[in-house]
Order: sequence, then structure tokens, then C-alpha cells
Amino acid sequence: MTGTTAPAAGAEVSALQAALAAEHAAVYGYGVVGAHLTGAALAAATSDWVAHQVARDSLEAMLRSSGTQPVAAAVAYRIPHPVRNSAGAMSLAVTLEDRVATAYLGLVALPATAIRELGARGVVAAAVRAASWRGKTVAFPGFVAGALSPARR
Amino acid sequence: MTCLDSAEEIERGLAGGSVLADRTRRAVLAATAVGLPLLAVSGCKGVGALATPPKPAPDVAVLRSAIAAEEVMIARYDAVIRRSARLARGLRPLRDEHLLHLAQLRSRLIVPLGRANAASASPSVSGRTLHEHEAAGQGSAGHGSAGHGEAGPGAVPAGAAAISFLQAAERAAAADLLRKLAVASPSLAQLMASVAASETTHVAALSAARGAGRL
Repeated sequence: MTGTTAPAAGAEVSALQAALAAEHAAVYGYGVVGAHLTGAALAAATSDWVAHQVARDSLEAMLRSSGTQPVAAAVAYRIPHPVRNSAGAMSLAVTLEDRVATAYLGLVALPATAIRELGARGVVAAAVRAASWRGKTVAFPGFVAGALSPARR
Repeated sequence: MTCLDSAEEIERGLAGGSVLADRTRRAVLAATAVGLPLLAVSGCKGVGALATPPKPAPDVAVLRSAIAAEEVMIARYDAVIRRSARLARGLRPLRDEHLLHLAQLRSRLIVPLGRANAASASPSVSGRTLHEHEAAGQGSAGHGSAGHGEAGPGAVPAGAAAISFLQAAERAAAADLLRKLAVASPSLAQLMASVAASETTHVAALSAARGAGRL
């Protein structure tokens, strides 16, 4: 890495914990998502749920190997909007994936190449899942909506 | 502006990492490209008035490459869109996202006056033909017939092959961005990762649209 000052190791731990927290939320949230889906959509939700469990376990292992206690999952999470049907479930899945992508984007800003690559893989994977649930693509996955929009006059 | 102010501005930029650090990044790149000569003539000690211009920051080369790749991608989409009204409707949203990528990348690189017509800083995609991009060795995905020297849109295959061609190009572009993450500044690396993710979703979107008969 060139052109940057080395951050404290704490920044790396903090970003990994943020990604882990997002994965915890996604694992919980997909439980809600799956409860409102059937057929192929339910199968997709189950697959994504498993993917988040794998990612969660991997992040926990990374943190433990560096001597850090991984952040624990909350007992419950506040769902950002009511989920009463499949449309609401898919919308929740989009929200979960967008938040996961944003969390992994934080890892991309760190100087360690391996961490950047981990973050980039996380952003890509979440973006692909989000696009599938959203039914369309976005220009800047991981960035807060509108953060990179062209300036309006 | 004092010398100290400039140093602080540059330091802030290099220590960036926020996803919203664009203005600071621009300031850094602007200072790298054009600001230092101004400091020299304003009498700041430590910067010789006639010194050799500083080497461009690593971000400049990465940005130029990414900008050129986006220009090639847009030219490819435009070639297919011009040729097929049937495909155009499905492809325009993806092409438009590439236009947003290009605008965002360009916003981070200020090119000094007199160099505005240089390759990667051309003001419009249409001002440069696909052939020129390919001849410059930029963005060749190594797939299909593009990159083999055929002029302009004719290098892009027609029909269903065009979709496969665009998918291969999207994959290659995303992979190229991810390969360069390690040498980018934090803010630019985030943008590159996001653009690579968007391009990866285009691959799936093209497959889905083709499967649904929209392409």
C-alpha cells in the first residue's frame, strides 16, 4: 500500500467488528425474510442466509485469531419496516445486503491488502445478492444512496 | 494560502478513508497535478521554482486506467445500443451506470489546462472511437473480436453474441479494478471496489434479462 499512513490496528479491528455486526443482523434478518417467502424465492433466501452465516463465522475466526473478542449478535433486531408479505420481505433483504455492503466497504479503506481484498469480496457478494432481490442494479453498491449522485443545480 | 495550509490539506487527504472524502481527494490530486508549481512560484521554501515536476501520485495512474476502461465499456454498450433497438432498452440502464462511474472517476482527477484532450481526460466518450480505445490498449477484455484492431462499433459482435461479449467485458473490467485496489488511496479503493461490484451485478443482470427474453 502506498500513499497512506498506517492506521492503528484498532481501525482494522473496528472495521472487522462492523462487518461482523452487519453479518449478525443479516443472519437475523433473513430469518424474517424467509418466513414470508415460498418456492424459488425461499430457496434464494435460504442460500443467502447460509452465505451470511459462513461470512459471520469467518469474521469471528479472524477476530479471535488476532486476540479480539468478536462482537456478539443482539438478541433481537429492530426491522426497519414492517414485513407482512413477500414484497416486504424482499425489500428487507435489499436493506440487509446494502448494509452489509457498506460495512465491507469500510474494510476496503484499510491499508492491508488482504483486508482490502476481503472487503472487496464482501462488497461484490452483497451487491450481487442485493441486485437479485432488488430486481435491478445500482451504480455504487455500498455507498449510502445519493452519496455519489451528480450535483444538482 | 500559506505553505502550512497546503501541507495540512494534503495530509488530510492522505489520511482519508471516509466514503465521503471526495472533495479532499480532489484537493490532493489537484495539488499534485497543478498546485505544487504554484507553491514554488509563491516562494515557499523547500520547493524549488525550477525543480523537476513531482512524479504523479499512484492514484493518478490508477485513475487514468479506470477512466479509460470505463470509456471503453461505454463505447461498447453504445455500439450495441446503436445497432439494436431491441437490445437498447435493456442495455441503457447499465450503460447509464457506467456513465455515472465515469463521472465519479473523472471528478477525482483534475487535469491541467492544455492537457484536457489527453487520452483519459477526453471530455466525452463519443469524442473517442472504440477503435482508438482499443488501439491504446485500454480495456481489451480479450474476448470476442474487439481488441483485434477492427474499427469502431464493428468490433462488437451482434445479437446474442453481443450480450456475451458485454458480460465478458464487465467481468474483465471488475477483475482489473480489484487487482489494482492495493495501490489505490483509501477513498479511491472504496470507489473502485464499488464500481467493480456494480460491474459484477451487470453480468448477472445481463444473464437475467436474456433469460427473461428482454435481451
